[in-house]
Amino acid sequence: MNQRVVITGLGAVSPIGIGTGQFWKAALEGRSGISAIRPFDDLPLEAYRSRIAGQIHDFTPAHYLDGPHVDRVDRYAQFALVAAKEALADSGLRIERENPHRIGTIVGAGMGGMVMGEREITQLYRSQRPNRVHPNFIPTITLNSASGIVAMAHGAKGQNLTISTACSSSAHAIGQALLTIRSGRADAVITVGADASITPLVFAGFCSLRALSTNFNETPEKASRPFDRARDGFVMGEGAGALILESLPHAKKRKARIYAEVAGYAATSEAYHMVIPREDGLEVAETMALALRDAKVRPAQVDYVNAHATSTPIGDAVEVKALRHLFKSRADRMLVNATKSMIGHTLGAAGALGGVVCALALDTGQIHPTLNYEDPDPACALPGISTQTQERPIAIALLNAFGFGSNNAAVVFKKYTR
Amino acid sequence: MPAESDIAVRIRTALGEYLKRDPASIEPRHALREDLGLDSMATIELLFKIEEVFDLQIPDQDLQKLAKVSDVIAYVEGKVGKPAAAKPPAKRPASRKKG
Repeated sequence: MNQRVVITGLGAVSPIGIGTGQFWKAALEGRSGISAIRPFDDLPLEAYRSRIAGQIHDFTPAHYLDGPHVDRVDRYAQFALVAAKEALADSGLRIERENPHRIGTIVGAGMGGMVMGEREITQLYRSQRPNRVHPNFIPTITLNSASGIVAMAHGAKGQNLTISTACSSSAHAIGQALLTIRSGRADAVITVGADASITPLVFAGFCSLRALSTNFNETPEKASRPFDRARDGFVMGEGAGALILESLPHAKKRKARIYAEVAGYAATSEAYHMVIPREDGLEVAETMALALRDAKVRPAQVDYVNAHATSTPIGDAVEVKALRHLFKSRADRMLVNATKSMIGHTLGAAGALGGVVCALALDTGQIHPTLNYEDPDPACALPGISTQTQERPIAIALLNAFGFGSNNAAVVFKKYTR
Repeated sequence: MPAESDIAVRIRTALGEYLKRDPASIEPRHALREDLGLDSMATIELLFKIEEVFDLQIPDQDLQKLAKVSDVIAYVEGKVGKPAAAKPPAKRPASRKKG
């Protein structure tokens, strides 16, 4: 059993739009979703070094969801529910007409239910009343709450997994969904990435880690600037992406619309450092090479890279070094963009939203701009990065995602051809 | 050996605690990275401790100026003045878990 795997549905919840249509339109227009951060109750905002983020300001769960799930899950799981619902509707997959045990759910989440988590911890210490910890606290903060609730909402009874590998979580979710379907263990997998952890404690933690941009607090839309000389850290974002991955025979049988094929995947560990990448980029290059081999694609065939590119000084330079190492002269001819330049770093959602972008790039031939690439850093400069939307037929796309804990993921997508 | 400022002593003590080694073995000329073996994450952790000891905020853009122990001492002296006598660090409220 070695089934081909295709994408038949997409969903997106992002700081530049809720719904794939809005997200994609805004991305092609080069809109920034980064703004001044909303205050955290009465905490002194000036004590946060970074005061900007890609927050979703107009999210009202009841507009998108109904049923008992809505108010009982954390914000990240609400995002996951909305994106998954959209992707399923988009795919036309009706689980009630399927063998439900053949439909799996894999969610990538980096932080999970931190909104309630932080609130309950705060209340516990302030009130000194352990008997008032909310009964729904544990089900909410358990890291698989989103994958559980997504499956419940749709009756998907196949494998139900959560992958938490920090910033690469949902790239691995796509990869694991590919392996699951390819090996015949499922007909389709609802594949989601979600995070909503722009919360007082998590945000402070990233500030303390000195991972966030601090030089653009007065000009938020300028802060996320992958590959640019003035980049000074990432900007936190939030959101969710969803993709319905399906075996090709199953998709064909029900005459589904096919966006793209998921052709290869690799997962590696640098076994190096919790938060610092190896500066020579060799492990990143090896990860991409393994994914291409899995897809039976040569580096010279790759047209487009959706880069991890978080806008940190070291990370972007390492990724470009790796691209140059693996792709040689091809690196100068590929198109490359950074979705995080618009929406910030959505952590566990980043891989899935990047996957949505890859699917649409293959489907439409449009590559969204990279914002704020104004003064190319010689350490990162590639001719294929542009502040403008680029159009070119794309046959092979590569998605990169790297996570704390020294882990790397790469996923290869192909334009679907019979 | 010229008398060391109180600030220098406290920084070396903090470094010794962080590195779990005798503060007397840490010299101002030591480079944080090459001599003391601090990577960028460890430097951030050390400065987090220094910020607490001296009740300081060290902006991200100042980090690259701090390559040697002497740089850290000069930086902190520049920020908090160079008192002859020890001034107790400003007391902060006991840390409280926050959500």
